Amino acid sequence: MNILIVDDETEFLELVGKRLARRGMDVTTASSGEEALTLAEGRVFDVVVLDVKMPGIDGLETLRRLRVMHPTMPVLLLTGHASLGSAVSGMELGAFDYMLKPVAINELIIKLNEAARLGGA
Amino acid sequence: MASLLTKLRALFDRPPDPVALAEAERLRAVYRERCGHFRHLLSANKTALEVMADMEETLRGGRPFGLHYVRGASTRVTASVFQMVRALNSLTEDRYRDLYASFDAVRTAIEACLGSRHRSERGPLVLPIADISLDMADETGGKMANLGEIRRRLGISVPDGFVVTASGFQYFMAANGLQEEIDRRIQAANAGRLDEVFALSSSIQSLILRAPVPDDLAAAITAEVERLAASHAGPLRLAVRSSAVGEDALGASFAGQYRSELNVTPEDVLDTWREVVASKYGVTAMTYRHNRGIPDEDVAMCVGGLVMVDALAGGVAYSRNPLDLRDNTVVINAVAGLPKAVVDGSWTPDVFVVSRDVPPRLVRREIASKPGRFVCDPVEGVRLVELPEAERTLPSIDDALAVEIASLAAGFEVYYGEPQDIEWALAPDGQLVILQSRPLKEAVHEAPLDIAAAAGPDVPGGGGSAYPVLLAGGAAASPGTGAGDVYVVRRDADLLGFPDGAVLVVERSLPRWAPLLGRAAAVVAEAGGTAGHLASVAREYGVPALFGIEGCVAALEGAGTVTVDADNRRVHPGRIEALLERTPPRNLMQGSPVFETLQQVARLVVPLNLLDPESPSFAPGNCRTLHDITRFCHEKSVDALFGAHEGSPAEALAGKQLRAGVKLQYWVIDIDDGFIDPVPGKVVDIANIRSLPMLYLWDGMVAVPWAGPPTLDAQGFFSVVFESTANPDLEATAASPLANKNFLMVSADFCNLQARFGYHFCTVEAQAGDDAHGNYVSFHFKGGAASPDRRVSRALLVAEVLEEQGFRVDVKEDALFASCEGQPREETLALTRLLGYLIIHTRQVDMIMHNATARAALHQRLRDEMLAVRQRPAVVVPYVQPHR
Repeated sequence: MNILIVDDETEFLELVGKRLARRGMDVTTASSGEEALTLAEGRVFDVVVLDVKMPGIDGLETLRRLRVMHPTMPVLLLTGHASLGSAVSGMELGAFDYMLKPVAINELIIKLNEAARLGGA
Repeated sequence: MASLLTKLRALFDRPPDPVALAEAERLRAVYRERCGHFRHLLSANKTALEVMADMEETLRGGRPFGLHYVRGASTRVTASVFQMVRALNSLTEDRYRDLYASFDAVRTAIEACLGSRHRSERGPLVLPIADISLDMADETGGKMANLGEIRRRLGISVPDGFVVTASGFQYFMAANGLQEEIDRRIQAANAGRLDEVFALSSSIQSLILRAPVPDDLAAAITAEVERLAASHAGPLRLAVRSSAVGEDALGASFAGQYRSELNVTPEDVLDTWREVVASKYGVTAMTYRHNRGIPDEDVAMCVGGLVMVDALAGGVAYSRNPLDLRDNTVVINAVAGLPKAVVDGSWTPDVFVVSRDVPPRLVRREIASKPGRFVCDPVEGVRLVELPEAERTLPSIDDALAVEIASLAAGFEVYYGEPQDIEWALAPDGQLVILQSRPLKEAVHEAPLDIAAAAGPDVPGGGGSAYPVLLAGGAAASPGTGAGDVYVVRRDADLLGFPDGAVLVVERSLPRWAPLLGRAAAVVAEAGGTAGHLASVAREYGVPALFGIEGCVAALEGAGTVTVDADNRRVHPGRIEALLERTPPRNLMQGSPVFETLQQVARLVVPLNLLDPESPSFAPGNCRTLHDITRFCHEKSVDALFGAHEGSPAEALAGKQLRAGVKLQYWVIDIDDGFIDPVPGKVVDIANIRSLPMLYLWDGMVAVPWAGPPTLDAQGFFSVVFESTANPDLEATAASPLANKNFLMVSADFCNLQARFGYHFCTVEAQAGDDAHGNYVSFHFKGGAASPDRRVSRALLVAEVLEEQGFRVDVKEDALFASCEGQPREETLALTRLLGYLIIHTRQVDMIMHNATARAALHQRLRDEMLAVRQRPAVVVPYVQPHR
């Protein structure tokens, strides 16, 4: 599976990236919304995992633009700031799910599989 | 569109026709998409129910939680329910758009509960003490407000100084997006784990220490320091002390949780202020807030800067005996030098007990041996000066001063209308100075204690006890009895290994051990008095504490289980139940702001009002809670997917009734490649199932014949009857045409079962493909007909059995969630088969759950039969020519 993880916290990117790669996933990382959008221009990912709060283009705006580029590419929001408002906004923009950090790696993998299988609608 | 069926049928009767093939392909795509929505809905349903169960348990459990838990749980459940609403509408061509309005109403109400707790208006960043009075506690913190009041109204000597206000604090925290970053870090950590709290605390504190102080704030602080320097004879030194807002509210003592720095030079005031601010996130303070349900954002760290008093002597006075407010005495703890040693619990202080008669009269005096005294260092900070042997047992104050302090304390109590806890100092010029006064909290205890007994002279051999005595003496710093294994803590690192329910044994009763009090059965310390911070926290938490027993560490280390009887000042070997009949531990969370917030949110989330799907009131407009919406979505989605009516366009896409010999109350939907041959009719034969997870589940269900409901005793029977009448949901749902049906969704590697067995719902879902990483099997059930305790008992039994088989299991009330992920196909299938067995053979066992013998026998039988089920031969799907 082809995953793009977007988060401004580089430690998190490295850690999760490594763990997912160990589970046989093909992981690409981006540390900003801008970088994610550039990467997504050239290719379609099976699932995108997107942080909500980032400097520059934030997660919700990145999500909106990703949905325009690839309307069926599933996007999982994963955030350290629990907020009902951004959760609902994210879902309204078509996010597959809204998850809170910290997330167990098993739970994330199951959610990734689910998004890859069922997402995109 | 009634021709759909005909078309499908036609497809297999004639040679393939490209148009028909394309149409079939299109149908399949529509079909797959519908199934996708349904699976997404089920997954969200599971998460929503999990969060609801967790909220309920958290409210009942008495375990501490923070506001970030409330926020996280609310967000998770709201996001899940939104997904259900979205999926249901995708599944039904937007038939239930009204649900969005109901959802929005609930969500808005939840948001209001969680709403911002910050005040919007900003006051002055800094205030001189002359401008402070009691009604300004919101801006100055209780400690500084009280000092201002005492100075203003009572004309009693307090040091000159100023306070950096709550506005000043919030201004600083907002300036660098600091607060937001801190909140994020807290959410991402587990506040229940001490090692994580340590890491979190240090990362947050260093964040604060590195943050620049805005220029205008720094200038305002500096101006106040300069004002003090100008009016002060000699070089100015300050005490920089925390005065957090909310420190003394809520019956919470917050004793010594924050940093205070003594004898600070003017140049260092700004940095020290930042250090005190950072101490809001010290381990002790964070654990305390967590245990007491105090939201982080409710605590604004106001900081006082006071001219330093180089005390000849100092200490704490309680206007009442803190162990029993009905006792008519003032209790004074005193040491030579700065009062720090009393507050820190560094060593055992002198105790003066003064009666509240007019005139007050010294009742008792206990002069301790004090190893040293703290004094102001000529340069900066505080120094410990050892006392020569001959001076150690000299009284730290004379009797006249003790009586003077006592009169003052009694006067404060009259003025404030409640007992007071006062920190005092004897200035070099002989004047008595008040450093702090705040309400005194009484320990939680049933029987009043005799202060003379609680702090009297040592009782050698612990005379009079009916039980063997390990240690006797000291002072009861907090009443009660507690038992547990001895655990000696010497360093911070020892904190991490502290087991729940152990007896904490320390040399000195330092405030930094406070994080353990939420989990300790009792505390025993060699040094420290009843006026120290640790003693206050122990009383607040209702943890028995015995302080000032010399040699207790050596005597207790390695002693195993002991019983601490603080009331009688004894430690006994072993666990003595007769002594432990105390009031149960307090639920410190109840009534706290965090607890109440969760309660409010839970009222909008958990209750289920929509009970009867057949009733006209089962409608989007009547969904008042997230649970209502969840229930509605689940019901209507099952209806949409499985309940297609005769002749409707959906009929061809609807579920097929399962036949295994006879037709069964199971309806199966093939979401992809779960059937071997296409099924044009309404019935699918078990032999036509390709889905391995379903076949294994089925194999488990039929592996051992069900013996029927267990034999009930009369009590068990009545328990069921009672619940059936008391719980309309059981009856009402049974009336629904779908209620007695069970639903299966399958593909070659996947199976989802939604079933209703007896009186309980259950879901099994399994994904068993070639890639182990993507595999999982999960099981969820809730409900039952017996009384709640029996249902819980059954859930626990099933949990035990499942854990033995390698499942991860979580039981919340009577709901059980079990899962196992990442296993190879064979093991995933084997576990699925076990679940099949289990859902059949745990039907109605809740009825015999109160009977320990029957329970043990059942446990053994389940274990044996599961072993047999595991050993059944592999299920083989006959190889069939692909039909396309």
